Amino acid sequence: MEEYKIAYEKWQHEVKKNLSRRPERKDEFTTGSQLEVKRAYFPNNFDSAYIDKLGFPGQYPYTRGIRHTMYRGQLWTMRQYAGFGSAKETNSRFRYLLEQGQTGLSVAFDLPTQIGYDSDDPMSLGEVGKVGVAIDSLEDMELLFDQISLKDVSTSMTINAPAAVLLAMYIAVAEKQGVQASQVRGTIQNDILKEYIARGTYIFPPKPSMRLITDIFAYCADNAPSFNTISISGYHIREAGSTAVQELAFTMANAIAYVEAALAAGLDIDDFAPRLAFFFNGHNDFFEETAKFRAARRMWAKLMRERFGAKKQKSEQMRFHTQVAGSTLTAQQPENNVIRVALQAMAAVLGGTQSLHTNSKDEALSLPTEESARIALRTQQILAHETGIANTIDPLGGSYYVEALTDQLEEEAFRYIDHIEKLGGAVSAVEKQYMQREIHRAAYDAQKRLEKEEDIVVGVNKFQSGEEQAPDVMTVDETFVENQLNRLKELRKERDNERVRLSLQQLKDTASGEGNLMYDILEAVKAYATVGEICHTLRGVFGEYSV
Amino acid sequence: MKKIRVLIAKPGLDGHDRGALVISQALRDAGMEVIYTGLRQSPAQIVRAAVQEDVDVIGLSSLSGAHNVLFPAVIKQLQEESAEDIMVIGGGVIPINDVIALEKQGIDKIFTPGTPTSLIAAYIEDAVRKKHGEESMFFTKPIGIDHIGIAVNSIEETAAFYTTHFQLEIDNVVEVPEQGVRVAFLPLASVTLELLEPMGENSPIQKFIDQRGGGLHHIAVAVSSIDERLNQMKKSGIPLIDEVPKKGAKGDPIAFIHPKAADGTLIELLEKKEEAADGYV
Repeated sequence: MEEYKIAYEKWQHEVKKNLSRRPERKDEFTTGSQLEVKRAYFPNNFDSAYIDKLGFPGQYPYTRGIRHTMYRGQLWTMRQYAGFGSAKETNSRFRYLLEQGQTGLSVAFDLPTQIGYDSDDPMSLGEVGKVGVAIDSLEDMELLFDQISLKDVSTSMTINAPAAVLLAMYIAVAEKQGVQASQVRGTIQNDILKEYIARGTYIFPPKPSMRLITDIFAYCADNAPSFNTISISGYHIREAGSTAVQELAFTMANAIAYVEAALAAGLDIDDFAPRLAFFFNGHNDFFEETAKFRAARRMWAKLMRERFGAKKQKSEQMRFHTQVAGSTLTAQQPENNVIRVALQAMAAVLGGTQSLHTNSKDEALSLPTEESARIALRTQQILAHETGIANTIDPLGGSYYVEALTDQLEEEAFRYIDHIEKLGGAVSAVEKQYMQREIHRAAYDAQKRLEKEEDIVVGVNKFQSGEEQAPDVMTVDETFVENQLNRLKELRKERDNERVRLSLQQLKDTASGEGNLMYDILEAVKAYATVGEICHTLRGVFGEYSV
Repeated sequence: MKKIRVLIAKPGLDGHDRGALVISQALRDAGMEVIYTGLRQSPAQIVRAAVQEDVDVIGLSSLSGAHNVLFPAVIKQLQEESAEDIMVIGGGVIPINDVIALEKQGIDKIFTPGTPTSLIAAYIEDAVRKKHGEESMFFTKPIGIDHIGIAVNSIEETAAFYTTHFQLEIDNVVEVPEQGVRVAFLPLASVTLELLEPMGENSPIQKFIDQRGGGLHHIAVAVSSIDERLNQMKKSGIPLIDEVPKKGAKGDPIAFIHPKAADGTLIELLEKKEEAADGYV
């Protein structure tokens, strides 16, 4: 009782402090019938289990959210992933999205960029500009952010194996705009372990890949402290077919591996942990998903405090982005996807996400059209401004069902984590294909349940009939590929090739020895060395990963 | 028969292999030998592996949008290696216009999201049978339309329209009490119109009339072997009303496919004996 009172008063105090800095969105929140909506709701009878398991918003173990006022103070960031074709086209989509009220940018790169090949590499055949924007050199990055002030936006980049190269390019563009590295905000995905497990855009073997990651941690701690250096991702693990428990467990196991690598590299936990971010999937099972997000926060807080001895609150606070589940979208009756997306997004908001991407209804058919991308963003705006779910903190907290699920998910996930520890940790488990096999089994079971109609997917194995209309699909103009290749050819002619050669030589030397690779990569990028050239230099030293 | 051999391949740089892995496993469970190439295979590597492994079928999976370039590149490579006898199928997030274009360029069949794996397995099995000169069991054209069933309240009242204005003749009227129906046959060239009149309260024809007010009830397709057709349909995951054939109004074996298989149209399979089929055509 006493303990509870102290925690409550601490929360009240923090709220007051916050409000003086930044008031809430409204002076008072009410329901549709004008009843008062309180900041948060609590049990009538307190016990110590409440403090241990839930606590108050913004307090350890953060089950109810990492902020004291949550969405009453500030809504989540609406961040839609976009990028296709050339840097110029993507730049105009970005500027359109910013005009439409989007509050952060999220860059999708094409596969050659993600795997460290230039557009003119034979390996890039057919892939240039397909799933995202093609970036070969700093010149493309300058076009991508043309007339977008990097001081004012936060940018999330879905880039992993060559994350250091793209981060260096981003910083170089900022500097050209007169913005210091210390002022840029954003996130790089930089989560290589899940690439081996589920997403497939790896380049180097695990060990040098982990070195690149810890080099980025160290560089950013010193130079770009507002940049999230990694987004540890369960998203793709789930898309590959895992269960919610596996998503939670494998993400957390990977996170532990990154923390241990950074500690082994001599970094202090409280220097890099505050910049670790997470990325989860928002899937169909409504309450299980909400419980998953709550369990994830609590697990992370415990790990940081109890296992790694973190001292700063920010180290314990799990911040995460959510994208709703692309794999649940159906090519059949695509309009139904709007509803799926809305419900999945709602579960993520009820779970306290910091940012959210809602998928477009046509993603099982092609890249989204402008219209479907707009509906996806409007879905978030409706959740934020019409439903009232953002008006009180953790509205499902205290539900017998949700709390029980939260406990169960945590327990099951820790069981997996213990097993992975026995295999020698996440890096070793990845090398042994352990997670890959577990996910594959879950994916195959799900497919069988679907075909036996034990699981129902509306419009696919039940309720199929209805007018099927061929929807509009988005096509990328292919002529830009030639344009991209010409510009690249031109660049290779025009730039100072001696400076490129020297910078790559320097990078090679550092890679062969010790020292932080980020500084050399930044130099090479500024000399207009290409993504392919930089990655190729590193391939020469590190080798390539293959299964 | 020798086990069917399949190479499942991921051309290009796309790393999404959930579909490729699930298909591989499903085809193995269907009794095939499956080799999965892993990620990032060039068309040349895929064809080399297919020839070395002596496969019957290559299955390509791509979700990155590079299919228009990479799938035809595999076909071209097969031609260069004189290995065109290897059938190529594909799957992934592929817009309908691209499906049409790819199937024109030598990809045998594109399967899009939501296709049951059992259908893909049945499709491959049948294609390989055809390649070995065996008679296909499905995805072949049936013999023809045998009859069109029309639900009517009263044969006497409705038949007058056909006999007067089209000068059709009523060949025969039979009662099939076990199916709750009285049937009048009105032949016209190779197709017969069947007027179906309900017999008794529990007649399915009565239910149909109550719900939809009568009219077109079903289309009957004449096939050479109803057992094999049913078997293949079952394997393909097509919902059936009759899993085993029953006796139709003329004594031929018949079976109904569930209307949800064809977006609401009830289809009857009807076995025509060879000689009957000859005389019929």
